[in-house]
Amino acid sequence: MNIETVRLASGRSQQVAKTGAGPVLVWLHGLHGVPAHDPFVAALATRFNVVAPIAPGFNDLAELDDIRDVHDLALHYDDLLSALGLDRVRVVGHSFGAMIAAEVAAHSPGRISRLGLLSPIGLWRDDHPVADLFGRPYTTIDKLIWAGGQPIGTMVMRDASTSPVESLVTLARGMTVVAKFLWPLPDKGLRRRLYRITSPSLVMTGAVDPLTPSLYAEDFRAGIRDAKAFVIAGAGHMLPYEQSNAVCEQLIPFMKSD
Amino acid sequence: MKFHWFHLMPYPDLPDDFRARYSGVWVDVPVRELFDPARGHQAYNDYLDELEHAEREGFDGICVNEHHQNAYGLMPSPNLMVAALARRTTRAKLIIMGNSPALYNPPIRVAEEMAMLDVLSGGRIVSGFPVGTPMDTTFCYGENPATLREKYREAVALILRAWTEKKPFAFNGKYTQLRYVNVWPQPMQQPHPPIWIPGGGSVETWDWCAQNNFLYAYLSYFGYKAGLATMQGFWETVDKLGVEANPYRAGFLQFVAVADSDAEAERLYAKHALYFYNRCLHLNPSFANPPGYTSIATMRKGIEGQVARAAAMSPDLTWKDIVDRGYVVAGSAATVVDRLNEMADSMRVGHLMVLCHFGDMPKEKVFQNTERFARDVIPKLRPRYNEWEDKWWPKDATAPVQTPAAMQPA
Repeated sequence: MNIETVRLASGRSQQVAKTGAGPVLVWLHGLHGVPAHDPFVAALATRFNVVAPIAPGFNDLAELDDIRDVHDLALHYDDLLSALGLDRVRVVGHSFGAMIAAEVAAHSPGRISRLGLLSPIGLWRDDHPVADLFGRPYTTIDKLIWAGGQPIGTMVMRDASTSPVESLVTLARGMTVVAKFLWPLPDKGLRRRLYRITSPSLVMTGAVDPLTPSLYAEDFRAGIRDAKAFVIAGAGHMLPYEQSNAVCEQLIPFMKSD
Repeated sequence: MKFHWFHLMPYPDLPDDFRARYSGVWVDVPVRELFDPARGHQAYNDYLDELEHAEREGFDGICVNEHHQNAYGLMPSPNLMVAALARRTTRAKLIIMGNSPALYNPPIRVAEEMAMLDVLSGGRIVSGFPVGTPMDTTFCYGENPATLREKYREAVALILRAWTEKKPFAFNGKYTQLRYVNVWPQPMQQPHPPIWIPGGGSVETWDWCAQNNFLYAYLSYFGYKAGLATMQGFWETVDKLGVEANPYRAGFLQFVAVADSDAEAERLYAKHALYFYNRCLHLNPSFANPPGYTSIATMRKGIEGQVARAAAMSPDLTWKDIVDRGYVVAGSAATVVDRLNEMADSMRVGHLMVLCHFGDMPKEKVFQNTERFARDVIPKLRPRYNEWEDKWWPKDATAPVQTPAAMQPA
């Protein structure tokens, strides 16, 4: 994986990881950034030239100083895609990254050719509230995002060389970014903007996601004019890492078709 | 040295098995199950009696603070309590160790209320501006922890401008925009009441207080032994910045329990101290450290602490634990004087805030503890720091101060 720094028209810089070969696919990561050995990115890289921006703030919280809300954030990503020369591009996002992907698609219709939303957050229903991602010690977040309460198999979202404390600091920094845009409830108006998404879209959620109830897949599907939704049995919020094969089976043909 | 009588206003009837039955005392502790308004009526009135009694006993200040959705702090609005106290006291300064300015929209509400109270009380207000705990600010009042501190600093700056600018002005902030800022009334104390900053242990707050000449108050429930490192950090910052190391720029909070003997202190006060530490301080760690509330550097320490604390979850504290660790300074007047001298030698705090009421202590015992402290302890410590000028304290009123008719002799 190569890390490049891209200069945007706004004057900001943005780090972007790149790996793989094939048609370009932009990957917008979830709560953990883009670890060097991210297994789902590796799976996508067998079919695509994966371009994976590290969300502003994940490396340095000062990057967020003048990105105040989801509108600023969506425009930041729109600027980034311009700087990368990607006028029309496939985008897949996971969790917080799926929310960003949906916001970019709603703010800049036509920018995204195909949209994949894996365990997206950004909607709220009083009858099925999203769990509190922030009101818990960092040490217990795994219980909320993995169907089995802990990372499975080799799907460890940190580099083996990192100490446990440092990996918690990294998680905390990322969670601060997520909190900046989603505090106190993950409802910043996306539902009102979903109709603006023109890209054909595929929504996938885990049937036993302890964070975001799976029925939100249907809300996204119903709000986006050209969308399909799938609920993957047995999967939690870390869906692409828990059931990589089941996700790729649907996602890759969808993203490849024109 | 100055002495201030601080009330937390705990709810006094939490059940014996509170710790086992509820996840914590704050944020989501169910009010409908636990709070009886009739008991609340009694508690509020007892607590105001106790604060008023502290003035009669000669304390320099009486002190309240702000908490939300909290069974050990029944003061979502400390200003209401101070409004009541302003009409029932005439001499003691009224120290408000909260309003968290970021919680008020617009924050000039705080400038207005402090000014009202200062004018009403004849210039007796000390205005505390805490950031606010994560429980109060982020979980109860919905403030974003990633931006809370920046919003807080902006709000404090706005309030100070509202108290000092000569003419109405426009304020174009990141968090507050106002076309006309023109706060009526203005405080009696000019340019404004002393600013006290109740803080935790963050380096940024030490710098900010020292640079802006705000008093730094470390409010910990864990006493002078545990608080020493934090106060030393503050004084190191003061030295580093070349600011005068005046003891009156610092305050500290301490539980005290005074009796005829050390054994008598245990007999009188242990039950109530245990109520406070084992029920009121039953805090849910889920709400202790939301992302962004502290800087990354402080967060790094906090995470280590949190893991360590979770691993070392201790069973209920005993009176011996509480006294040996210095959480409560307890015993005969001689013992308490010794311990507080030790505290003053090491921590160098000119303003000592004492908690003479703890947990579910009945009014008679609170009066007794207050009287013993005022009569047998304060005089022994009073001369400390006399060589320093206290620049963080309301000056005597320049205009005549009116006594409420109800308080004048018949």
